[in-house]
Amino acid sequence: MSQSNIRPELQEELRSAIVEPLLPIEKKLIAWSLGIGLTLLVVLAAINHMFPPTP
Amino acid sequence: MSNATLTGLGPHTAAEPAARLNEAKSFNEDWLAVILGLAIFGLALAGLVRIDLIGWVVSTSVWSNLGQALGPVSKNYAAIGGIGALLATYVALTIVLSAGAAALKSDVKRFALAFTAVFWIAYASWIVGNYANFAAVTLADQQKFGITWSLKLTNEGAYIFALIVGLFIANFLPRFADAIKDAVRPELYIKIAIVILGGFIAVTASGKLSFASSLLLRGVAAIVEAYLIYWAVVYFIARKWLGFSREWSAPLAAGISICGISAAIAIGGAIRARPVVPALVSSLVLVFSVIELLILPFAAQTWLAHEPLVAGAWMGLAVKTDGAAVAAGGITESLILAKNAAEGIHYQPGWILGTAVTIKVFIDIFIGVWAFILGYIWTNHINVTRDAEKTRAREIWERFPKFIIGFVITFFVGLYLVLGTPADIASKVPPAIGEANTFRVIFFILTFFSIGVLSNFKALWREGLGKLAFVYFVSIFGFVIWVGLAISYIFFHGITPPLAS
Repeated sequence: MSQSNIRPELQEELRSAIVEPLLPIEKKLIAWSLGIGLTLLVVLAAINHMFPPTP
Repeated sequence: MSNATLTGLGPHTAAEPAARLNEAKSFNEDWLAVILGLAIFGLALAGLVRIDLIGWVVSTSVWSNLGQALGPVSKNYAAIGGIGALLATYVALTIVLSAGAAALKSDVKRFALAFTAVFWIAYASWIVGNYANFAAVTLADQQKFGITWSLKLTNEGAYIFALIVGLFIANFLPRFADAIKDAVRPELYIKIAIVILGGFIAVTASGKLSFASSLLLRGVAAIVEAYLIYWAVVYFIARKWLGFSREWSAPLAAGISICGISAAIAIGGAIRARPVVPALVSSLVLVFSVIELLILPFAAQTWLAHEPLVAGAWMGLAVKTDGAAVAAGGITESLILAKNAAEGIHYQPGWILGTAVTIKVFIDIFIGVWAFILGYIWTNHINVTRDAEKTRAREIWERFPKFIIGFVITFFVGLYLVLGTPADIASKVPPAIGEANTFRVIFFILTFFSIGVLSNFKALWREGLGKLAFVYFVSIFGFVIWVGLAISYIFFHGITPPLAS
């Protein structure tokens, strides 16, 4: 595909794309990622606080 | 690993997903970086038996008299002088990298010609950047060079000169940029540098092993943040607020949150996106990494000079390509060490850079795992495919950034040599690795210059990627940078590098 063909198609595609609603699986992915991530961060921060690095 | 350019399709990005996976399986830039990095490291270790194989490599000092700028890194080769060392370095790198280009099935003659231009322009920029009025830091240095003012950028600030020259070429001499593109390979150069850096970090860490290992725990937090928090938030912003399709949002979120080019391509392949999607995302990543590289190290010096490891971790978390993140770590270290030295505090070098590199390497390790997870979800639940096209667990290995193997090898070999050998051998390890480190500096220079040459801001605008760029801007400057700073502060606040002896 030549570069000159890509650009107009992509510009049009990005401008006028039909909105795809979030699927239940996507919502689960986002929610679980954030949930596990924030929980793990709290746990790691607690470990960090209890076991500070030894200089 | 792709060398994405802002024309949209770099040398390796036009392949269909299956072909891209084949490239991941076969000999690629990652494996070449492992081989070349290990070769340089191995040659340097000949110094342990008093054979100096690479002491001829050129080293540049801060200068006010150009005749004193260059010299071979080892006194054993003093006879060849600075110009001799520079020529020897150019010839050796051209031969070795051209052989690498041949192994990657590139046009060797085109590569060698292009590399000639890349090497000489990049190194000339480095020499200029080391001029005393740009690089000298302390008053004592300024007096030594007989100057009354200096920009105090430190000698590593000269990397910025190479970057700016590259940016000039990309944006004002695009035909020349296109002519040298075969040798404009920032990801290859930084991966070789990272493999070499493993040994350097091992020597640095060996003196304070328990301290170093406790820093690793903090690196785990970086993985959690990048994959589970950053990716989810950016994906949500792209999908819900800006209405991007899944095909665009997943690679975009990966590029913004994980590791720029590598992650965008890995995730794009995993979800079976069209090749042009991660290619264009990669272009954006590069441009924004350049902007971060020009701003964040100086911001870190201004506000985090007394929290040096917070600064190092911040670079690893906030700057989103391997090249730019490691480069940012190097500049940040140089700037912060200089500022503290001016106040009489002399930190041991290597810790800030090492923190940035370790954080980035930790993040890179899990690209394959995340690609597998998303690929599984996409091929089984979103765009359900035939069994033959479903994601397989072996893709975790196929997408694993192989250059990390080289980094791990040089790290553990270096650590063993310093801690597990008799004192007469162990004492020779730091100077031997120091010579290899000179090559690391040269590959950094090539990386900075190459990043600049790939960053054609005008082409990006012409592509009509305004909406993509907007997501990137909002995500990076509205979220990633500040959360990265907060996480870095939580885990690294109050921890300072050991003082130099």
